[in-house]
Amino acid sequence: MFRAVYRLTSAGARSLVRTRPGYAAPVASRCYSHGKVETDEEFDARWVTYFSKPDIDGWELRKGMNTLIGYDLVPEPKVLDSALRACRRLNDLASAIRILEAVKDKAGPHEDIYPYLIQELQPTLAELGISTPEELGIDKS
Amino acid sequence: MAHQAHAYHMVDPSPWPLTGAVAALLLTSGTAIWMHFNSMSLMSLGMILLLLTIYQWWRDIIREGTFQGHHTPPVQKGLRYGMILFITSEVFFFLGFFWAFYHSSLAPTPELGGCWPPTGITTLDPFEVPLLNTAVLLASGVTVTWAHHSIMEGQRKQAIQSLTLTILLGFYFTFLQGMEYYEAPFTIADGVYGSTFFVATGFHGLHVIIGSSFLAVCLLRQVQFHFTSKHHFGFEAAAWYWHFVDVVWLFLYISIYWWGS
Repeated sequence: MFRAVYRLTSAGARSLVRTRPGYAAPVASRCYSHGKVETDEEFDARWVTYFSKPDIDGWELRKGMNTLIGYDLVPEPKVLDSALRACRRLNDLASAIRILEAVKDKAGPHEDIYPYLIQELQPTLAELGISTPEELGIDKS
Repeated sequence: MAHQAHAYHMVDPSPWPLTGAVAALLLTSGTAIWMHFNSMSLMSLGMILLLLTIYQWWRDIIREGTFQGHHTPPVQKGLRYGMILFITSEVFFFLGFFWAFYHSSLAPTPELGGCWPPTGITTLDPFEVPLLNTAVLLASGVTVTWAHHSIMEGQRKQAIQSLTLTILLGFYFTFLQGMEYYEAPFTIADGVYGSTFFVATGFHGLHVIIGSSFLAVCLLRQVQFHFTSKHHFGFEAAAWYWHFVDVVWLFLYISIYWWGS
Protein backbone atom coordinates (compact mmCIF):
# COMPACT_ATOMS: atom_id res chain seq x y z
CA MET A 1 0.00 0.00 0.00
CA PHE A 2 2.65 2.47 0.99
CA ARG A 3 4.84 1.74 -1.93
CA ALA A 4 2.12 2.45 -4.44
CA VAL A 5 1.78 5.92 -2.97
CA TYR A 6 5.25 6.94 -4.06
CA ARG A 7 5.17 5.85 -7.66
CA LEU A 8 6.17 8.43 -10.20
CA THR A 9 5.31 7.80 -13.82
CA SER A 10 7.91 8.21 -16.50
CA ALA A 11 5.54 10.22 -18.62
CA GLY A 12 4.92 12.96 -16.14
CA ALA A 13 5.24 13.83 -12.50
CA ARG A 14 2.64 12.94 -9.94
CA SER A 15 2.74 14.73 -6.63
CA LEU A 16 4.05 12.67 -3.76
CA VAL A 17 1.30 11.82 -1.31
CA ARG A 18 1.85 11.72 2.43
CA THR A 19 1.83 8.26 3.84
CA ARG A 20 -1.34 7.31 5.73
CA PRO A 21 -2.73 3.89 6.56
CA GLY A 22 -5.81 3.15 4.52
CA TYR A 23 -4.78 5.29 1.55
CA ALA A 24 -6.06 3.76 -1.67
CA ALA A 25 -3.40 2.87 -4.19
CA PRO A 26 -3.34 4.85 -7.43
CA VAL A 27 -3.12 3.05 -10.77
CA ALA A 28 0.13 1.20 -11.53
CA SER A 29 2.81 3.46 -12.84
CA ARG A 30 3.83 1.75 -16.07
CA CYS A 31 2.30 3.67 -18.96
CA TYR A 32 1.65 1.04 -21.59
CA SER A 33 -0.68 2.23 -24.32
CA HIS A 34 -2.06 -1.31 -24.53
CA GLY A 35 -1.67 -4.59 -22.70
CA LYS A 36 -2.82 -5.85 -19.35
CA VAL A 37 -1.83 -3.78 -16.32
CA GLU A 38 -0.76 -5.74 -13.25
CA THR A 39 -2.52 -4.89 -10.00
CA ASP A 40 -0.59 -4.25 -6.81
CA GLU A 41 -1.81 -7.55 -5.40
CA GLU A 42 -0.64 -9.44 -8.49
CA PHE A 43 2.73 -7.71 -8.29
CA ASP A 44 3.14 -8.66 -4.62
CA ALA A 45 2.00 -12.23 -5.22
CA ARG A 46 4.44 -12.62 -8.10
CA TRP A 47 7.36 -11.55 -5.94
CA VAL A 48 6.28 -13.60 -2.92
CA THR A 49 6.16 -16.61 -5.24
CA TYR A 50 9.58 -15.77 -6.68
CA PHE A 51 11.27 -15.77 -3.29
CA SER A 52 9.27 -18.77 -2.07
CA LYS A 53 10.89 -21.15 -4.53
CA PRO A 54 12.13 -23.93 -2.22
CA ASP A 55 15.39 -24.50 -4.10
CA ILE A 56 16.09 -20.87 -4.94
CA ASP A 57 19.82 -20.34 -5.30
CA GLY A 58 22.00 -17.45 -4.19
CA TRP A 59 22.20 -15.95 -7.64
CA GLU A 60 18.43 -15.92 -8.04
CA LEU A 61 18.01 -14.35 -4.60
CA ARG A 62 20.47 -11.56 -5.36
CA LYS A 63 19.07 -11.03 -8.86
CA GLY A 64 15.52 -10.85 -7.49
CA MET A 65 16.51 -8.35 -4.84
CA ASN A 66 18.38 -6.15 -7.30
CA THR A 67 15.44 -6.15 -9.69
CA LEU A 68 12.98 -5.43 -6.89
CA ILE A 69 15.08 -2.60 -5.49
CA GLY A 70 15.31 -1.15 -8.99
CA TYR A 71 11.57 -0.48 -9.04
CA ASP A 72 10.16 2.86 -8.01
CA LEU A 73 8.53 1.52 -4.83
CA VAL A 74 9.23 0.19 -1.35
CA PRO A 75 8.41 -3.54 -1.25
CA GLU A 76 5.54 -4.73 0.88
CA PRO A 77 6.29 -6.55 4.15
CA LYS A 78 4.96 -9.81 2.74
CA VAL A 79 7.43 -9.67 -0.14
CA LEU A 80 10.31 -8.87 2.21
CA ASP A 81 9.22 -11.69 4.50
CA SER A 82 9.46 -14.11 1.59
CA ALA A 83 12.90 -12.77 0.68
CA LEU A 84 14.16 -13.03 4.25
CA ARG A 85 13.00 -16.64 4.44
CA ALA A 86 14.88 -17.32 1.21
CA CYS A 87 18.00 -15.87 2.88
CA ARG A 88 17.40 -18.26 5.78
CA ARG A 89 17.20 -21.25 3.43
CA LEU A 90 20.46 -20.11 1.86
CA ASN A 91 22.18 -19.41 5.20
CA ASP A 92 22.83 -15.86 3.97
CA LEU A 93 22.54 -13.60 7.02
CA ALA A 94 24.54 -10.87 5.30
CA SER A 95 21.98 -10.54 2.52
CA ALA A 96 19.12 -10.58 5.02
CA ILE A 97 20.51 -7.59 6.88
CA ARG A 98 21.41 -5.90 3.58
CA ILE A 99 17.77 -6.19 2.51
CA LEU A 100 16.78 -4.16 5.55
CA GLU A 101 19.37 -1.51 4.70
CA ALA A 102 18.16 -1.42 1.11
CA VAL A 103 14.49 -0.87 1.92
CA LYS A 104 15.39 1.87 4.37
CA ASP A 105 17.25 3.56 1.52
CA LYS A 106 14.34 3.04 -0.88
CA ALA A 107 12.02 4.93 1.45
CA GLY A 108 14.14 8.00 0.82
CA PRO A 109 12.94 11.07 2.70
CA HIS A 110 9.85 9.25 4.04
CA GLU A 111 11.21 8.32 7.43
CA ASP A 112 8.09 6.63 8.76
CA ILE A 113 8.12 3.78 6.25
CA TYR A 114 11.15 1.89 7.56
CA PRO A 115 9.98 1.71 11.20
CA TYR A 116 6.63 0.48 9.93
CA LEU A 117 8.31 -2.28 7.91
CA ILE A 118 10.45 -3.35 10.87
CA GLN A 119 7.33 -3.39 13.04
CA GLU A 120 5.52 -5.62 10.53
CA LEU A 121 8.54 -7.89 10.12
CA GLN A 122 9.36 -8.15 13.84
CA PRO A 123 7.92 -11.67 14.25
CA THR A 124 9.85 -12.91 11.22
CA LEU A 125 13.07 -11.23 12.32
CA ALA A 126 12.72 -12.82 15.74
CA GLU A 127 11.88 -16.24 14.30
CA LEU A 128 14.80 -16.24 11.87
CA GLY A 129 17.24 -14.59 14.24
CA ILE A 130 17.93 -11.58 12.02
CA SER A 131 19.29 -8.47 13.72
CA THR A 132 18.51 -5.06 12.28
CA PRO A 133 21.35 -2.76 11.22
CA GLU A 134 20.35 -0.49 14.13
CA GLU A 135 20.70 -3.31 16.65
CA LEU A 136 24.14 -4.09 15.24
CA GLY A 137 25.16 -0.44 15.29
CA ILE A 138 26.04 -0.44 11.60
CA ASP A 139 23.41 2.07 10.58
CA LYS A 140 25.74 4.95 11.40
CA SER A 141 28.58 5.52 8.90
CA MET B 1 55.22 -30.49 -66.40
CA ALA B 2 52.29 -31.88 -64.42
CA HIS B 3 49.03 -29.87 -64.17
CA GLN B 4 46.06 -30.36 -61.88
CA ALA B 5 42.69 -31.25 -63.43
CA HIS B 6 40.76 -29.32 -60.74
CA ALA B 7 40.48 -25.77 -59.39
CA TYR B 8 41.47 -26.52 -55.83
CA HIS B 9 44.72 -25.75 -54.04
CA MET B 10 46.83 -28.71 -52.96
CA VAL B 11 49.17 -26.82 -50.65
CA ASP B 12 52.89 -27.62 -50.76
CA PRO B 13 54.44 -29.11 -47.62
CA SER B 14 55.17 -26.35 -45.11
CA PRO B 15 56.97 -26.19 -41.76
CA TRP B 16 54.88 -23.34 -40.39
CA PRO B 17 52.07 -25.37 -38.82
CA LEU B 18 54.69 -27.26 -36.84
CA THR B 19 56.61 -24.14 -35.81
CA GLY B 20 53.28 -22.58 -34.87
CA ALA B 21 52.39 -25.54 -32.70
CA VAL B 22 55.79 -25.49 -31.03
CA ALA B 23 55.41 -21.76 -30.46
CA ALA B 24 52.02 -22.34 -28.83
CA LEU B 25 53.54 -24.93 -26.51
CA LEU B 26 56.47 -22.69 -25.58
CA LEU B 27 54.19 -19.69 -25.04
CA THR B 28 51.79 -21.48 -22.75
CA SER B 29 54.33 -23.39 -20.69
CA GLY B 30 56.63 -20.36 -20.78
CA THR B 31 53.89 -18.17 -19.32
CA ALA B 32 53.31 -20.69 -16.55
CA ILE B 33 57.03 -20.77 -15.80
CA TRP B 34 57.21 -17.00 -15.83
CA MET B 35 54.41 -16.82 -13.28
CA HIS B 36 55.92 -19.41 -10.93
CA PHE B 37 59.67 -19.30 -11.39
CA ASN B 38 60.36 -15.74 -12.49
CA SER B 39 61.97 -16.63 -15.83
CA MET B 40 60.87 -15.14 -19.14
CA SER B 41 63.11 -17.21 -21.40
CA LEU B 42 60.68 -19.86 -22.55
CA MET B 43 57.84 -17.39 -23.05
CA SER B 44 60.08 -15.02 -25.04
CA LEU B 45 61.31 -17.88 -27.19
CA GLY B 46 57.70 -18.85 -27.84
CA MET B 47 56.83 -15.26 -28.75
CA ILE B 48 59.71 -14.99 -31.23
CA LEU B 49 58.81 -18.30 -32.81
CA LEU B 50 55.17 -17.23 -33.05
CA LEU B 51 56.05 -13.96 -34.77
CA LEU B 52 58.33 -15.76 -37.22
CA THR B 53 55.60 -18.30 -37.94
CA ILE B 54 52.99 -15.59 -38.48
CA TYR B 55 55.24 -13.64 -40.83
CA GLN B 56 56.34 -16.57 -42.93
CA TRP B 57 53.06 -18.50 -43.09
CA TRP B 58 51.02 -15.54 -44.21
CA ARG B 59 53.82 -14.40 -46.56
CA ASP B 60 53.58 -17.81 -48.20
CA ILE B 61 49.80 -17.52 -48.52
CA ILE B 62 50.22 -14.16 -50.21
CA ARG B 63 52.78 -15.69 -52.59
CA GLU B 64 50.46 -18.62 -53.38
CA GLY B 65 47.45 -16.39 -54.00
CA THR B 66 48.75 -13.16 -55.48
CA PHE B 67 51.76 -14.41 -57.43
CA GLN B 68 51.11 -18.07 -58.17
CA GLY B 69 47.39 -17.84 -58.92
CA HIS B 70 46.25 -20.60 -56.59
CA HIS B 71 43.30 -18.64 -55.18
CA THR B 72 40.72 -19.58 -57.76
CA PRO B 73 37.02 -18.84 -57.05
CA PRO B 74 36.36 -22.11 -55.21
CA VAL B 75 39.54 -21.65 -53.18
CA GLN B 76 38.52 -18.12 -52.32
CA LYS B 77 35.09 -19.40 -51.28
CA GLY B 78 36.81 -21.78 -48.88
CA LEU B 79 38.86 -18.90 -47.47
CA ARG B 80 35.66 -16.92 -46.97
CA TYR B 81 34.06 -19.80 -45.07
CA GLY B 82 37.22 -20.08 -43.01
CA MET B 83 37.24 -16.43 -42.04
CA ILE B 84 33.56 -16.49 -41.20
CA LEU B 85 33.98 -19.57 -39.02
CA PHE B 86 36.97 -18.02 -37.28
CA ILE B 87 35.13 -14.79 -36.54
CA THR B 88 32.17 -16.82 -35.27
CA SER B 89 34.47 -18.64 -32.88
CA GLU B 90 35.73 -15.26 -31.68
CA VAL B 91 32.15 -14.18 -31.07
CA PHE B 92 31.75 -17.16 -28.75
CA PHE B 93 35.02 -16.27 -27.07
CA PHE B 94 33.68 -12.83 -26.18
CA LEU B 95 30.28 -14.25 -25.30
CA GLY B 96 31.98 -16.03 -22.41
CA PHE B 97 33.33 -12.81 -20.97
CA PHE B 98 29.96 -11.10 -21.35
CA TRP B 99 28.40 -14.06 -19.53
CA ALA B 100 30.87 -13.59 -16.72
CA PHE B 101 30.11 -9.88 -16.57
CA TYR B 102 26.35 -10.31 -16.48
CA HIS B 103 26.55 -13.19 -13.99
CA SER B 104 28.38 -10.94 -11.56
CA SER B 105 26.61 -7.67 -12.26
CA LEU B 106 22.97 -8.84 -12.34
CA ALA B 107 23.34 -10.56 -8.96
CA PRO B 108 26.09 -8.75 -7.03
CA THR B 109 27.25 -10.61 -3.93
CA PRO B 110 27.18 -9.29 -0.34
CA GLU B 111 30.96 -8.81 -0.48
CA LEU B 112 30.35 -6.10 -3.09
CA GLY B 113 27.58 -4.54 -1.04
CA GLY B 114 24.88 -6.29 -3.03
CA CYS B 115 25.03 -3.52 -5.60
CA TRP B 116 26.56 -2.77 -8.98
CA PRO B 117 28.84 -0.94 -9.42
CA PRO B 118 30.26 -2.45 -6.24
CA THR B 119 30.79 -0.31 -3.16
CA GLY B 120 34.00 1.65 -3.42
CA ILE B 121 34.34 1.44 -7.20
CA THR B 122 34.48 4.76 -9.05
CA THR B 123 33.41 3.94 -12.57
CA LEU B 124 34.54 5.78 -15.68
CA ASP B 125 32.10 8.34 -17.04
CA PRO B 126 30.62 6.67 -20.14
CA PHE B 127 30.13 10.04 -21.80
CA GLU B 128 33.78 11.03 -21.71
CA VAL B 129 36.65 9.06 -23.32
CA PRO B 130 34.59 5.88 -23.78
CA LEU B 131 32.10 7.82 -25.93
CA LEU B 132 34.96 9.29 -27.95
CA ASN B 133 36.29 5.76 -28.42
CA THR B 134 32.91 4.72 -29.71
CA ALA B 135 32.92 7.57 -32.23
CA VAL B 136 36.46 6.69 -33.29
CA LEU B 137 35.61 3.06 -34.01
CA LEU B 138 32.35 3.89 -35.75
CA ALA B 139 34.23 6.39 -37.92
CA SER B 140 36.84 3.74 -38.71
CA GLY B 141 34.02 1.48 -39.85
CA VAL B 142 33.02 4.18 -42.30
CA THR B 143 36.57 4.71 -43.56
CA VAL B 144 37.20 0.99 -44.06
CA THR B 145 34.01 0.78 -46.13
CA TRP B 146 35.21 3.78 -48.10
CA ALA B 147 38.49 1.93 -48.67
CA HIS B 148 36.62 -1.13 -49.90
CA HIS B 149 34.61 0.86 -52.40
CA SER B 150 37.76 2.62 -53.55
CA ILE B 151 39.44 -0.71 -54.21
CA MET B 152 36.40 -2.02 -56.08
CA GLU B 153 36.31 1.11 -58.21
CA GLY B 154 40.01 1.01 -58.96
CA GLN B 155 40.67 4.27 -57.14
CA ARG B 156 44.19 3.62 -55.92
CA LYS B 157 44.92 6.90 -54.19
CA GLN B 158 41.60 7.02 -52.33
CA ALA B 159 42.01 3.41 -51.28
CA ILE B 160 45.39 4.20 -49.77
CA GLN B 161 44.11 7.35 -48.06
CA SER B 162 41.00 5.77 -46.54
CA LEU B 163 42.85 2.64 -45.46
CA THR B 164 45.54 4.78 -43.84
CA LEU B 165 42.86 6.81 -42.06
CA THR B 166 41.24 3.61 -40.80
CA ILE B 167 44.53 2.44 -39.36
CA LEU B 168 45.21 5.83 -37.77
CA LEU B 169 41.77 5.75 -36.12
CA GLY B 170 42.60 2.28 -34.84
CA PHE B 171 45.84 3.58 -33.34
CA TYR B 172 44.00 6.55 -31.85
CA PHE B 173 41.55 4.15 -30.15
CA THR B 174 44.42 2.10 -28.77
CA PHE B 175 46.19 5.23 -27.54
CA LEU B 176 43.04 6.58 -25.85
CA GLN B 177 42.31 3.22 -24.25
CA GLY B 178 45.89 3.04 -23.04
CA MET B 179 45.49 6.42 -21.39
CA GLU B 180 42.22 5.29 -19.79
CA TYR B 181 43.88 2.17 -18.44
CA TYR B 182 46.70 4.24 -16.97
CA GLU B 183 44.40 6.81 -15.37
CA ALA B 184 41.61 4.47 -14.22
CA PRO B 185 40.78 4.71 -10.51
CA PHE B 186 40.51 0.91 -10.28
CA THR B 187 42.72 -2.03 -11.30
CA ILE B 188 42.22 -5.60 -12.47
CA ALA B 189 42.73 -6.65 -8.84
CA ASP B 190 39.72 -4.67 -7.65
CA GLY B 191 37.28 -7.50 -7.18
CA VAL B 192 35.08 -8.95 -9.84
CA TYR B 193 34.46 -5.46 -11.24
CA GLY B 194 38.13 -5.05 -12.05
CA SER B 195 38.39 -8.58 -13.38
CA THR B 196 35.43 -8.38 -15.72
CA PHE B 197 36.30 -4.86 -16.87
CA PHE B 198 39.93 -5.43 -17.71
CA VAL B 199 39.64 -8.95 -19.10
CA ALA B 200 36.77 -8.06 -21.43
CA THR B 201 38.13 -4.68 -22.54
CA GLY B 202 41.68 -6.04 -22.51
CA PHE B 203 40.93 -8.84 -24.93
CA HIS B 204 38.99 -6.36 -27.02
CA GLY B 205 42.02 -4.05 -27.11
CA LEU B 206 44.20 -6.97 -28.17
CA HIS B 207 41.79 -7.62 -31.02
CA VAL B 208 41.95 -3.95 -32.03
CA ILE B 209 45.74 -4.28 -32.24
CA ILE B 210 45.44 -7.49 -34.25
CA GLY B 211 42.85 -5.90 -36.54
CA SER B 212 44.97 -2.80 -37.03
CA SER B 213 47.95 -4.99 -37.91
CA PHE B 214 45.85 -6.93 -40.42
CA LEU B 215 44.74 -3.65 -42.02
CA ALA B 216 48.34 -2.38 -42.03
CA VAL B 217 49.42 -5.45 -43.96
CA CYS B 218 46.57 -4.77 -46.40
CA LEU B 219 47.82 -1.20 -46.79
CA LEU B 220 51.32 -2.45 -47.65
CA ARG B 221 49.82 -4.88 -50.14
CA GLN B 222 47.58 -2.22 -51.68
CA VAL B 223 50.61 0.05 -52.16
CA GLN B 224 52.41 -2.84 -53.83
CA PHE B 225 49.55 -3.49 -56.28
CA HIS B 226 48.53 -6.87 -54.87
CA PHE B 227 44.79 -6.16 -55.00
CA THR B 228 42.60 -5.96 -58.10
CA SER B 229 39.18 -4.40 -58.22
CA LYS B 230 37.64 -7.88 -58.43
CA HIS B 231 40.00 -9.89 -56.23
CA HIS B 232 41.04 -8.57 -52.84
CA PHE B 233 39.88 -11.13 -50.35
CA GLY B 234 42.68 -10.39 -47.88
CA PHE B 235 41.31 -6.88 -47.56
CA GLU B 236 37.74 -8.13 -47.22
CA ALA B 237 38.76 -10.50 -44.45
CA ALA B 238 40.50 -7.63 -42.65
CA ALA B 239 37.43 -5.44 -43.06
CA TRP B 240 35.13 -8.16 -41.72
CA TYR B 241 37.43 -8.58 -38.71
CA TRP B 242 37.51 -4.85 -38.18
CA HIS B 243 33.68 -4.60 -38.19
CA PHE B 244 33.56 -7.49 -35.71
CA VAL B 245 35.95 -5.59 -33.42
CA ASP B 246 33.73 -2.52 -33.70
CA VAL B 247 30.57 -4.49 -32.85
CA VAL B 248 32.24 -6.07 -29.82
CA TRP B 249 33.15 -2.58 -28.64
CA LEU B 250 29.54 -1.43 -29.01
CA PHE B 251 28.39 -4.31 -26.79
CA LEU B 252 31.18 -3.56 -24.30
CA TYR B 253 30.28 0.11 -24.24
CA ILE B 254 26.59 -0.47 -23.68
CA SER B 255 27.00 -3.31 -21.16
CA ILE B 256 30.05 -2.44 -19.10
CA TYR B 257 30.59 1.27 -19.54
CA TRP B 258 27.02 2.50 -19.70
CA TRP B 259 24.64 0.02 -18.04
CA GLY B 260 27.35 -1.10 -15.64
CA SER B 261 27.96 2.36 -14.31
